[in-house]
Amino acid sequence: MRKKPTPVKLSRRDFLAASSAALIGLGLKTDRPIAGGFVNESFQLGHMLRDRQPFPKTTKTEKFPIVIVGGGMAGLSAAWQLERRGFHDFVLLEMDKQPGGNSRWDENEITAYPWAAHYVPVPNARATFVRELFEEFGALKDGKWEERYLCFTPQERLFIHGRWQEGIEPAVGLTDRDREQFKRFDDLMQQFRASKSFTIPTQLGIDSSHSLEIAKLDRISIAEWMQQQKFDSTYLRWYVDYACRDDYGAPAAATSAWAGVHYYASREHEEKGPLTWPEGNGWIARRLIQKLNRYIRPQAMVHRIAKDKSRNRYSVLAGDTEFIADAVIFAAPTFLAPYLIEGMSPALTKDFVYSPWLTANITLDRLPREIHNSETAWDNVIYDSPSLGYVVANHQSIRQHEERSVWTYYWALAEKTPPDARRFLLEKDWAYWKDAILADLSRIHPDVRDCVSRIDIMRMGHAMIHPSVGFIFSENRRALVRSHTGLDRLFFANSDLSGISIFEEAQYRGVTAAMKAMVALGKH
Amino acid sequence: MAPLLFISILLIAACGLIYELIAGALASYLLGDSITQFSTIIGSYLFAMGIGSWLTRYISRSLVTQFIWIELMVAVFGGFSSSILFLTFAYTQGFRVLLYFIVIVIGMLVGLEIPLLMRILKDRFEFRDVVANVLTFDYLGALGASLLFPIVLVPQLGLVRSAILFGIVNAAVALWGTFLFKGQLRSPQPLRFACLVVLALLCAGMAGAKHVIAAADDSLYADEVIFAKDTRYQRIVITRWRDDTRLFLNSHLQFSSRDEYRYHEALVHPGLGANPSARRVIVLGGGDGLAVREILRYPNVESITLVDLDKQMTEMFRSNDILSKLNGGSLASPKLHVINADAFPWLEQNTDMFDFAIVDFPDPTNYSLGKLYTTAFYRLLAKHITANGMIVVQSTSPMFARQSYWTIVETLKQAGLQTYPYHTYVPSFGEWGFVLASAKGATYSPPRQLPKDLRFLTVSAIPELFEFPADMQPVAAEANRLNDQNLVRHYDREWRDISH
Repeated sequence: MRKKPTPVKLSRRDFLAASSAALIGLGLKTDRPIAGGFVNESFQLGHMLRDRQPFPKTTKTEKFPIVIVGGGMAGLSAAWQLERRGFHDFVLLEMDKQPGGNSRWDENEITAYPWAAHYVPVPNARATFVRELFEEFGALKDGKWEERYLCFTPQERLFIHGRWQEGIEPAVGLTDRDREQFKRFDDLMQQFRASKSFTIPTQLGIDSSHSLEIAKLDRISIAEWMQQQKFDSTYLRWYVDYACRDDYGAPAAATSAWAGVHYYASREHEEKGPLTWPEGNGWIARRLIQKLNRYIRPQAMVHRIAKDKSRNRYSVLAGDTEFIADAVIFAAPTFLAPYLIEGMSPALTKDFVYSPWLTANITLDRLPREIHNSETAWDNVIYDSPSLGYVVANHQSIRQHEERSVWTYYWALAEKTPPDARRFLLEKDWAYWKDAILADLSRIHPDVRDCVSRIDIMRMGHAMIHPSVGFIFSENRRALVRSHTGLDRLFFANSDLSGISIFEEAQYRGVTAAMKAMVALGKH
Repeated sequence: MAPLLFISILLIAACGLIYELIAGALASYLLGDSITQFSTIIGSYLFAMGIGSWLTRYISRSLVTQFIWIELMVAVFGGFSSSILFLTFAYTQGFRVLLYFIVIVIGMLVGLEIPLLMRILKDRFEFRDVVANVLTFDYLGALGASLLFPIVLVPQLGLVRSAILFGIVNAAVALWGTFLFKGQLRSPQPLRFACLVVLALLCAGMAGAKHVIAAADDSLYADEVIFAKDTRYQRIVITRWRDDTRLFLNSHLQFSSRDEYRYHEALVHPGLGANPSARRVIVLGGGDGLAVREILRYPNVESITLVDLDKQMTEMFRSNDILSKLNGGSLASPKLHVINADAFPWLEQNTDMFDFAIVDFPDPTNYSLGKLYTTAFYRLLAKHITANGMIVVQSTSPMFARQSYWTIVETLKQAGLQTYPYHTYVPSFGEWGFVLASAKGATYSPPRQLPKDLRFLTVSAIPELFEFPADMQPVAAEANRLNDQNLVRHYDREWRDISH
């Protein structure tokens, strides 16, 4: 059926304007419509706690020897440890519909994709728990890593001076002086590595090293340390600053030198990696959730934890249920603890600073042209951009040709102080961020706007712990690590206790908290 | 007389600009990167004009005679510039040097023209009129030329004839000058004679331009392109010259019909001939059907599975007369199952088993193709091979890309396979390498019998293929893995070294 044409009335003036514009080709370029919005918002729930809003009365009571609060990697790892030690009488309370925390993921018709954490560096021999987990899930067999889970070539590229180079360490446009500084920097990091003070998990290195020199690094920022060491190469400073923004969500000037060094000195490269999957660390979370499903209570937001001193047990309130527990593993972000735990002093968590982040999953229904036919890498970084670049979700594909893709785009709001950045993050609407992201990407892919069909954005006010100057060696952090908080049988487990928000730390904290809880209950 | 004089200025100016445009267009056409070509040519040309203008200070006597000689030189150099450049590009290595030499010579000669003319005219008119008129007509000529060039000259005449045409104009202006300025010439006769000679030369050039273009084109495009198509996956080009048909994928030569029998016999028979009981064969890549043609020589083979990404490729080699003659109609065989799919995921989703697998992918020129040469790929492929089955892999040249070749061998080993590397000579490729692979513990013995009618291989020659002379001996290599594709880097380096 033919549609009846709608008569359009044009004034003479409109007609002239339109036709003369068309005549000289001045019609406005129209961008294709792009769908999307904010997703996985959780700060409303957090703000309810912060503002101490009233929660409904509980109507049910359940009893468990151990209750795990929080279903991110730390909580899931605590559960994993309890289960594999034959302890089955526990429950894990998760605020969201889907556990996973920073390892959450999603999926569309093109590929699965991560919402935050998207890789695990190939673990070395000291990361025992990580290796055990990967053996269990088939990523490590007879000491060999599954090739399909190691990041495919080309791993990383950097857009610098109008072209792509392989690797993120700048190599284009360097003077001899720059190169000398990179070399000297690498040598120094090699020495730090040899000191064995910088390990993953961090706790092992900190416990075994008694070097004051190394502890002193925590008293200055990595930017100051660079200055002291006479590193002034623009490229080297960018490189270190990028690492801080990427791993800690903060600029070099606000990051502890100990943490800055740790980034470079903690890893030995035994195999070209990292380990990665389309859904990022969601690959791990998915398997843990599957395995531990019967212990997990989703949409159970804990709003109060109180100790019944007379009976020496805890009351954990979540939704309409009161959980009575002999021990609690607190795997939620530690800064929430004083809002939830009755009688806990807010002073204990005052040093815990968190960086706000934004991640966007960008759906492309065709791929943009590549400058100079460069091949798309897994991690694609733009020199001198405020963003951290993008990661290609379907990079680990064994196909010859991918015609569509999802890019996970990362942006740590590191220019402002965390509270200002958080305000800014919440203030701006989706269209603002969409345009900012496209403007950034247009620098490297001029036709990107024609390729994108959807941009979903996740705003995270407290995305990751920020190892600010003095945090790693602070008394409060150590007290929380040792559970010296005056709260018997309550164990902290979040990765923020390590000052570094990575999977290995979350797992280590979760597993060790589970072990401590079992010891405390005499169940080991 | 004045208007005629100024028209000749206009013509001279037009000629000068045309030669510059021709040089720029020719360089961009032949060398690519038009921004660089145009800007360096315009730059050198203007600079040379400056030198020319400066040199006029050394010309003090018989200005008109000198002017006419200069015009004639411009006519010859400019007129033949594109013919010379085309032929140089086609037959020699010195194109760039000659390009800038010609641009600078013409630029200098053109730079001499206007200052000389002004001096010639300064006694006839007021100086301010000379400057105003000469420059006005100079710029007008330039405008005319710049419009004429893209609209009329290039589409209608082409670069060779356009240059000659303007050479003729230059020579005609010179001849005309001998009449215009006859008062200032002592003996115009020899000059007029020279003008006629140059004109005759250029007219002859115009008549012969056809041959120049043909000679240059023949050498630029060695063969006639009979088919070119951009598919979703690649650019397919087929060329033919006399009885030689060639296939190019993304401008990489895949075969030449004159010697492809050497390649395909060497690819198929050392492995398949050694296993007379093989019934099921798979070919990965090889959409041209030439390997299938060789497999069909074994009556015991009951089914052949051909997995090629590009449907347009297998369709074309099945239906096109010239191409299906090459593969003997193999793609229409009832034994053949053509599957247009990506080999790696197809193997992953499929459970079929085969007695022999032929891996005939394009060389690992990028990381995407490089995935098909990894331990992960070979491990997966090995799962589809029966206990006594074998795999053969085309593995680039052990001579030109020695490191790449032995990397492929090492990769097969690291995938848990036993390897038997061999090579042969294919004139259009040079020394070419293959690797046979079997399960560990199996043994390979060369075929004791081969199908009839082979044009290259004989039973006694096969064991010799496994001998590697000193310059192709194994080198230490690391396996190519999905997470560390060193093969693509080796390949890129080695073939770049050859072509430079």
